Order: sequence, then structure tokens, then C-alpha cells
Amino acid sequence: MKKIYGPLAAAVAVLLVSACSVRSDAADLYKQEAPLHITAEMPEDVAPGETVRFQLELKQNGEPVNEASFVHFEVRKQDGSIPYPMKEAQAAGGGVYEMQANFRSDGLYFLEVHAGSGDAISNPHYQFIVGELSESELDSLKQGPALDAGNSGHHH
Amino acid sequence: MANEKREKPGAEKTKQAKDGQFYKSVWRWHLYAGVLFAPLLVLLAITGSVYLFKAEIENVLYADYYEVQAQEERVSVSEQLSEVNRLYPEGIVTAYRPGEDESRSSEVTVEADGMSMTVFIDPYTGESLGEMNNNDRIMDKIEEIHGELMAGTLGDRIVELAASWAVVLIVTGLFLWFPKKMNGAGGVLVPRLRQGPKIRRRDLHAVPAFWLSAGLLFLIMTGLPWSGFWGTNFQAMVTNTGEGYPPSVWIGDAPKSDVETQDIAEVPWAAETFDVPLSSVQGLVPLPLDKVVEIADQEGIHPSYSVFIPQEPEGVYTLSVFPPKAQDEATMHIDQYSGAVLADYRYDNYGVIGKVVAWGITLHKGSQFGLLNQLISLFICLGIVFVAVSGVYLWWKRKPKKGMGAPKAPPLFKTKSFLLLMIVLGLLFPLAGLSMVIVWLFDKLLIQRLPAVKKWLNA
Repeated sequence: MKKIYGPLAAAVAVLLVSACSVRSDAADLYKQEAPLHITAEMPEDVAPGETVRFQLELKQNGEPVNEASFVHFEVRKQDGSIPYPMKEAQAAGGGVYEMQANFRSDGLYFLEVHAGSGDAISNPHYQFIVGELSESELDSLKQGPALDAGNSGHHH
Repeated sequence: MANEKREKPGAEKTKQAKDGQFYKSVWRWHLYAGVLFAPLLVLLAITGSVYLFKAEIENVLYADYYEVQAQEERVSVSEQLSEVNRLYPEGIVTAYRPGEDESRSSEVTVEADGMSMTVFIDPYTGESLGEMNNNDRIMDKIEEIHGELMAGTLGDRIVELAASWAVVLIVTGLFLWFPKKMNGAGGVLVPRLRQGPKIRRRDLHAVPAFWLSAGLLFLIMTGLPWSGFWGTNFQAMVTNTGEGYPPSVWIGDAPKSDVETQDIAEVPWAAETFDVPLSSVQGLVPLPLDKVVEIADQEGIHPSYSVFIPQEPEGVYTLSVFPPKAQDEATMHIDQYSGAVLADYRYDNYGVIGKVVAWGITLHKGSQFGLLNQLISLFICLGIVFVAVSGVYLWWKRKPKKGMGAPKAPPLFKTKSFLLLMIVLGLLFPLAGLSMVIVWLFDKLLIQRLPAVKKWLNA
């Protein structure tokens, strides 16, 4: 009977250790999305009146997207004082799209990109500064970039 | 010929003796397991009966929080969140639930002062209807008892053990119930009520138990995928084959937002040292929750969904919904900066086993087929209570004054068929298997060496 203890203990040990987990590539076995990936070049130190160029690169499944269904740029000022119309971006080849703009007044701005290719839609928001910030804009920055929502993650 | 004739009675005797030993072993384990786990099974059946009616009970309990007067215009999600921000300036919002119809409030989950609170908001006025500490939800307490006896991991394992042993009880019980001779339906399919108290007591346990066994087995097998040990391992194995739930629906990681840290706009937190270079506040900002709710509506997710808000820079917005019907389930992960859908798993994207498990869960909860489902499950639960009580009563009436009254069984290794049965069950339900080994060792090392205990247990 003694013989049995060894294998038994081994079986129990295997059982307890073998608690399995989900493989990191398990997602490949299920439905896949092809999200539209956007990398943007944001101009730095923009002076009022200066013409700047926004450039972004669209990729899907690692390939540059040359024929996106649409790529629109939408700019708004943080305080909502200056409305800009939505503009269609120019394709510059190699999956790169760009737009030129110039901003007359100082302040905190948001650029919203609307891009689509096939079923995939991507809609990133960027924050940028022209010239100097006002007191209220500084305050709004301290509250987090999007005071309305989704900023809780930055509170630590 | 003559030899054969002479041998036959002897052979039959050994076979009978073997059958008898097998029967005694089965009976012995059925009795001990039954007496030990009956209280737990009764507890699970009662809490389960109540939990079947969770939605109905909560609708009454929380009517003041849930119901709102529908109006033309809803205020934005952002405005609703700013009400929460006003109530809990230091709180961290972790989830938002828009409400499944126009007369339902929206809910915001906020972590504040070490507590998890739900703030109910009227989506037409943006004002709070009231707050609730999530620890005070009575149905969650019931679920906690049902799932883990309010004792965390240990409780979870005990419940799983009870469920696994309930399978052992069903299998051993069926052996005991199985008629040795076909003598009609009495005592097999219908209880014999007029053949004296002993037969009545036996039949009032064995016959209803037989009828319930399929329902009980169904509840066990649909409940086990929830459990911490069996369930987690089962889910992981099945997910890894491609036939289960896609990862992150039940277990497994969600994808991450596709972002380089340096592209994210920093938040200059310490107001007094606002000397961070301004360029660092330029860059990607998280999507407002309003946009995420818009995406959910466009993607046609069942309206009772919740949005879980990312708490890390590379986290994702997760939309998740487990509605009454399995076919409506959805789990969606959205890049928190671009709103790109990184994963979108619906019921149709589950593997075959994932679909079966999903159906099992909604059937187990009694939600899949509404009232009919609830009533059938309630009937099974009440039946379990009856069978557990009648079983214990049967044992109590039969048992001698001194001792447990279990039949003396031959050593485990002498009855090969029974040993095989226990090994199979032990492998299918490792926690039960482990406990069998412990009982066996306990018997070997302790009970057999203590004459008083040995006598009492008839070991």
C-alpha cells in the first residue's frame, strides 16, 4: 500500500499547480477587429498667425491606408469662442494625410480627427497650444484634459 | 456439465457478495456525503430561490432610484458626471450605465473614501436621485452567500466542493435507487406511501430525488463554470481551444489602447508647480464618455450595458452587457483615445462551448425564459430542500443509538468497480477528488487507529 502514496501525492501536486490560464494569443482564435491606427505629428510651439501643418499617418493591419473612406479634421477652441468648419484632409501618399491651418488667437485648442476605412472608424482628440494660455485655460488644464469625462484615470 | 452445475451456485455467491460489497460502499459514501453536505445544499437552494427573482425584487426595493419621468431631451453624459463630481469631488468614476429604457435612471459607479458607491442620476435633469453604498445591496449579499458563503476564496471552494459532492450524491444515489428487480413503478417512479413508515420514508427520499436528479445535475453543471477553481480552469482551457468565451469576456485580458506614452497629454496635477513644459500638455486626450455611449448606440449593443472607464493610461473603455437572454450578450473594448473598436465580442462570436455555457448561465439564473424559467428553477430548488431534509430524516430514523449507522464497507482498494467510479468522479471534479483523498488518508491514519471513533463510524 505504501507504493500508492508517492504517485498520489504527485497527482495532487500536479492538479494544484496545473491551474491553467488563458494564453496571451488566445484572442487570435476568435473574431478579429482591424482597428484604424493613427499616428499624428503635432506641431509644437505654435505662434498666433503662423501657418502650421497637421500630419497623420493611417495604418490598418500594419499597412498604410492610402484610400481611407474619409479623413476629416475638426478644430475647436477650448472656450468654444471660435468655430472652425470641419475640413477634409489631403492625402499625401504612403498613408499620410495632412491639413494646413493658421490660428490668429492665443489659447488652448483641440483637434479632432475623424477617419474611416472599411468598417473601422478612429476618432482621436489632440490638445495643443497656440501662443500663451489664459488663466481660465490653465485652470481647465489642471482639471484634466477633458473635464467632462474619462479623466478619472489621471487622478493618481 | 456436472462440474458446471456444481460451480454455479458458488460463482453466484461470489458475485452476490461482490455486488453486496459494492452496494455497501456506495451506500456508505452516499450517507456520509449526504449528511455532511445536506445543510450546504439546503442553503444554496434557498439563496438560489431568492436570487432567481433578483430583478423583480430590486425593481421594488429600488423603485425610487430606478424610475424617472421620461422627457424630450436628455442631458449629456458629461453633465451627469459633473453632478457626481460635485457630490464626490475626490471620487474616481469607474463605471457608467446609461439605463435600458426611457424611464430608467442612469447609474454612475464612483470609488470614494474607500467605498464603492452608485449614484443614480435622472438623465433628463442631470440631478442625483440618491446614492447607494454597493456593499448594502441585499441581492449582492444573497449572491455572495450563494457563491462563496460570504467567506471569499475559502467559501468559494467550499461551495464548489458541495456542488462536486452533490454530483457524487446523484451518481451514488442513482445506484442505490436503481431497482434490483423490476417490480412495477412502486418505490422507483412513484413513492409507496401505504407500506409502512420505513418504506414510506425511503421512498419519499429516493423517488423525488430520482425525479429531481436531472434538474439538480443541470443546476450544478451550469453553476460550476462560475466557480473559482473548477470554473476558472474550465473556462481557461475552453477559451484556449477557441471554442469557449473569447478572452476578456469571462477570463483573460482585454486589449490595450494603442498608444505611445509620450503621445498622451499630461495633466499638470500639482497646481502650485505649473512649470511643466507646456509641450507636455499637448497630445492625445482621452475620449469623452459621451462619445463612447454614442459608439455603443451605433454598434447596437443591448441597452442595459455598462461602460467601464479606464483607470490606466493604456487602458480601454469596456462595454459589457449580460442581459437576461444569452443571445444579447456583448463585450466590447474601445481605445480610450481614438474610440477605435479593438474587440467586439457578441454571443455569435463565442465558440460552441462558450455558447452552451452562456445559455447554461442564463438558464441557471432563471432569466433566459422569464417567468416559466424562474418557476421551474424554483421548483427544483424547493425539491432539493425536500430531498436533503427527507434524506437526513431517513438517516436519523434508521440510525442506531450508538454510531452513525453507515454500513461497514470493505477497504477502498478491495472493490475495484467502486474505486474506479470514485477515481473518475475525482478526476472530473478535482476538488471533490482531493477531499476523497483527504478522507481516505484521515481514515487510514486516524480513524482506524482510534477504536472509539472507528466503532462509532463503523469504519
